[in-house]
Amino acid sequence: MNVLVLLAGILLFLMTIIGGRKGVRSFLAIFFNFGVIMITVVLMNDPTIDPVILTIIACVVISCINLFYINGVNSKTKTAFLSTIICTVILLLFIIFITNKAMIQGFGEEEIGELGMFSLLVEVDFVKITVSVIIMSTIGAITDTAIAVSSPMREIHFHHPNITRKELFLSGLSIGRDILGTSANTLFFAFFGGYLALLIWFKDLSYSIGEVVNSKIFSSEMITILCAGIGVTLVIPITTWITAYFFVRNKENS
Amino acid sequence: MYFLRSIFKKVSFKQKIFFTVLLCCFIGSVIFVFNNYSFYERPLAKVVKTTIEDVSKVNSVNGIEDKLYTQHIIAELRNGENKGKEIHLINEYSQSKAYDHEFQIGNELFIKIDEQMEKDTELTGTILEVKRDKYLLLVGWLFIFILLIVGKRQGLFSFISLAFNAVILSFALDIYIQTSNQSLLWICGISVIIFTVVSLLLANGLNDKTYAAIIATLLGTFISLLITYLVLLITGEKGLRYEEMQFITRPYRLVFMAGLFLGSLGAVMDVAITMSSSIFGLYEKNNDITVKALITSGMEIGKDIMGTMTNILFFAYVSGSIPTLVLYFKNAAPFGYTLSLTLSLELARALAGGIGIVLTIPIGLYTTLFFVNRKRARQ
Repeated sequence: MNVLVLLAGILLFLMTIIGGRKGVRSFLAIFFNFGVIMITVVLMNDPTIDPVILTIIACVVISCINLFYINGVNSKTKTAFLSTIICTVILLLFIIFITNKAMIQGFGEEEIGELGMFSLLVEVDFVKITVSVIIMSTIGAITDTAIAVSSPMREIHFHHPNITRKELFLSGLSIGRDILGTSANTLFFAFFGGYLALLIWFKDLSYSIGEVVNSKIFSSEMITILCAGIGVTLVIPITTWITAYFFVRNKENS
Repeated sequence: MYFLRSIFKKVSFKQKIFFTVLLCCFIGSVIFVFNNYSFYERPLAKVVKTTIEDVSKVNSVNGIEDKLYTQHIIAELRNGENKGKEIHLINEYSQSKAYDHEFQIGNELFIKIDEQMEKDTELTGTILEVKRDKYLLLVGWLFIFILLIVGKRQGLFSFISLAFNAVILSFALDIYIQTSNQSLLWICGISVIIFTVVSLLLANGLNDKTYAAIIATLLGTFISLLITYLVLLITGEKGLRYEEMQFITRPYRLVFMAGLFLGSLGAVMDVAITMSSSIFGLYEKNNDITVKALITSGMEIGKDIMGTMTNILFFAYVSGSIPTLVLYFKNAAPFGYTLSLTLSLELARALAGGIGIVLTIPIGLYTTLFFVNRKRARQ
């Protein structure tokens, strides 16, 4: 039997036992997200479509799946959704700037050997595709952090309906600080695990520090990790502010 | 009142010192990285003038039309014996820039100076690499500052834990490189224990919550690794394509397993600490809460986090393959072949990580219950 099929089967089994209906939905969400990535990649092959705009659309769809499909449409997912989109756009502008400056697009000389049989002249703008890769690596973590902040904030607002906007904002920030460390950790270990082969390779080649730091592969992976870290950190104050703004305003209206 | 004020002053004074030191580090490192030309052995040059000499249309496979540009660059050498002299470079780049770069005035490049045939002719050379260290440093500092502004004390601790883990990882890999090939899983196992203890202690301090989370993380990681190992054994690794890892001259199966082990660790830790701190939180609010009620609430919390947690890993792994996928599709590679070749390892990592996350929910729940019951018995 195929490894991936068996692993997916075990995951589905565990998610159903432990998560019930919600577990099945969480499992299906992974498949939908995979579908979104595949469609995005296929559309990227068309050079007339701007990959950055495509990425923004993909991020909106992915956040909808992660927030509304898994957790339902309600006030906490709505504010988390809005914060995710705002954070993604801010991060996107920064990534476009840094990718152009540091020239980390495409493939490094270490990777080019295995791609030798392919033509690299493919008329698609790889600078923009690299921007898309960096933002897509982070989108899962950004939506997770956004919902992890907005959901306890709703509980606080529910239990203390007379809380002021500032108090709600401050308690949201304090929740955010508690999860900041573990969110950053999750991403860092995921990337370390993914790049382990590469790290061993750099050590094997005994590159000097100067060569490692300036090489395209290493600097692009490091910039991806750091941008991911910036993304999960930045989404905390954004979500806190938006959630505090909407929840307390809602009360004044009613 | 006076006492409070003195504490306030003391803390703010410490903070003042901390921020002054931080600012000095920031300014010092930025000045260094913008002026470190003499520290590099390879010649460095700064582009002062570029002219496009030639543009040609290229038809590659499947009627794709790309443009090739030839760029003549005049750059000023920044180090070595020819410092200050001008050098002429030729750069070719394509519209898609998958492997090449378009250079602009102000870019800094590592180059190789050609040997001169005659004296007093123009210097020529070839471009080796772009100088990227300054951008890396600037993004790194931006991350540190945002982390400190948003996270304050916790931000500082999470930065310390990340930096410490990076150093441990680098050290562990050094040990692996110098010793026999078989020991990678052992080295990884020991480092995983160190990573878990250090990260969780720095995030939550010395208390029962942290102990429960550490035990749950280690159990969750090792059990999920065991399951993945058994799956690989039963299926004979059918469907996994290791081609993309073959550039390393090490046993790549072992490296893949070690990466899988390490990659899910962060997520498993996240689940474990969420479970233990929320269950302890419920217990501390109401000391008489029944075990059954704790299990019900714990499972509810677990259901809430498992979907988004598995998605974090999924996106972190799969997104990295997008450029390769685009290149394969553009070269008219068959769909199924492309997917299995570029995504099989990433998907296996994401699925195995997902199994770790889901398993840690009940493991974390029952480990925490054990600690809660012990605490209850003591009182």
